[in-house]
Amino acid sequence: MTTYIAQRLIIFFPMLLVISFLVYSGLELSPGDAVSHMISPELASTITAEQLDAMREAYGLNQSFITRYWIWLTSMVQGDMGYSMAGGVAISEIMVKTVPATLELSMVALFFSTILGCSLGVISALKRGSGTDNSLTVAGMAGVSIPEFFFGLVAILLFAIELKWLPVGGRLMPHYETVWDRIPNIVLPSLVLALMMTAGAMRYARSSMLDVLAREFITTARSKGMPEWRVNILHGFRVALTPVVVLIGFRLPLLIGGSTIIEQVYQWPGIGSMFIRSVRASDYPLVMTISLMYVFVVLTASLIIDVLTALIDPRVRLGKE
Amino acid sequence: MAKTSLDKKFDQIKKREEEKSFSTKKRSRIVSKFLNNRLAVFGLIIFTIIILASLFAPLLSPYDPMRVDLRSMRQAPSFDHWFGTDSTGRDVFTRVLFGGRVSIFIGLGSAILSAVVGIAVGCYAGYKGGWIDVIALRVSEIFMSFPQIILVLLLVSITGQSLFNLMAIFILTGWGGMYRLARARMLSLREEEYVQALRSFGLSTFTICYKHMLPNALSPIMVNITLSTAMFILTEAGLSFLGLGVPLNIPTWGNILNVAQDILILQNYWWMWGPVGLVISVFVLCVNFIGDGLRDSTDPSQQG
Repeated sequence: MTTYIAQRLIIFFPMLLVISFLVYSGLELSPGDAVSHMISPELASTITAEQLDAMREAYGLNQSFITRYWIWLTSMVQGDMGYSMAGGVAISEIMVKTVPATLELSMVALFFSTILGCSLGVISALKRGSGTDNSLTVAGMAGVSIPEFFFGLVAILLFAIELKWLPVGGRLMPHYETVWDRIPNIVLPSLVLALMMTAGAMRYARSSMLDVLAREFITTARSKGMPEWRVNILHGFRVALTPVVVLIGFRLPLLIGGSTIIEQVYQWPGIGSMFIRSVRASDYPLVMTISLMYVFVVLTASLIIDVLTALIDPRVRLGKE
Repeated sequence: MAKTSLDKKFDQIKKREEEKSFSTKKRSRIVSKFLNNRLAVFGLIIFTIIILASLFAPLLSPYDPMRVDLRSMRQAPSFDHWFGTDSTGRDVFTRVLFGGRVSIFIGLGSAILSAVVGIAVGCYAGYKGGWIDVIALRVSEIFMSFPQIILVLLLVSITGQSLFNLMAIFILTGWGGMYRLARARMLSLREEEYVQALRSFGLSTFTICYKHMLPNALSPIMVNITLSTAMFILTEAGLSFLGLGVPLNIPTWGNILNVAQDILILQNYWWMWGPVGLVISVFVLCVNFIGDGLRDSTDPSQQG
């Protein structure tokens, strides 16, 4: 087991390094450098080439590409993420503000989608081939076919504008005092996100449950004269859901990627809407840091999944050695 | 000698063989299985209707999708304008038809091209193994370390926005999945006896993997192409909705929806974004139905 974890870790760090290098050089290829973005169009006509060069030297832009990458990498490792080009705010400060908002949204959505997905999946497995099963399958396909932002817009129109039950968007208001004040804001975005995630969870729970129901211990339980609901709930449900919950729990990367557009629709001040804003403004340091943070989360999550599946299923770790 | 019942049976088989009704048997089983799937057939019909409607858009609508007509702006749906008009008086129905051309072209085109790249690499690397396979696998892992939308946005910020760039980005982000699929099929096919026989005949690697092995891996690939078409259409819509996809002057489904970011339009002019959102959803749903039908009808474990 230790060798298996060690193997995964050996891949983990070089991967992160290679990706950071690729992203850094990719953004190097994009038009303009930091200095050209700092100068407003009005200033550009009056400024001389010497002044530009002086600025480049002051910011260290005249050094070679590799040197700059190395400086950036070492300061990144030490926790200095640099500064955003728009407004010169420290990127670490932006992260501290936006990451909790995204985590909050994702966690609530994950919670709802897991409960909903598992129960619907189990119901549809128990009633396999029935009208309920078929309509749940079709509903699940509709769930992955409707663009999430369109669904979000319809929800805004219906529940925020027409019925006025919930706010249109945003996360915090100046007059909010307790946690309870914030709940109406999170309901719409998290439910929209959760419904979009439910389809996958449902499909997974259904096939896992069908798998378990076909096993021999279920037949044994039935032949003992146990009531059907006890067989399903105590024996089937419990066994079927363990792998599902482990996997759904680590669909977090998918979720934080998926929340990007929803955050934008609901003006949720999370990392996703910040990323979109930085892409629009060509704020390259911010684009780079946020995308690398996503990569870090995805790689960490897949490392944890690998280790967990190896713990659950010994065939995985034996097969790889 | 009198004819036995067995002779009669043989005569029947011979007769059928002469009529060549056997040769199409395998195909017809897949087709008939697909046609028995009501959702898949429904999906195929709507899919075809939407594609034909956007192809023949100029015949179906008297309006120009780009022409601004300020006298008839923000009109509600009527007999003249089925989906109403937008803030600059352009006919929304016409724009949905013309937008379909671009959106479907991007979705289908990127899916097919990324399949071509993924298969070309995956077949060869999966069959040959060795350093090519190791490199391709690592490269695809790099692409898969990003959440898909984040990678697309990152690449958009590097390359800038254009139709061509967007398709290139989709291919770049999409080939990995197809490569892994093709590679996995090749790894299992590689050990089959017919492949060893071909190798001992001295056929070249290219002929073996592209001509003899690839057709056996085609059905999961077809399913995957339909599913990634659906995904690319949704991604294009999302990106254009954010204003980061196809440049706004080209009508696409996402670009038409872009106006819904304005809360006034969202509230007061539902026809500018509602119908097109519905069209995207229905189209993607149909593509998913087709993909599901294809999977069920070509899956060998369900054959019978």
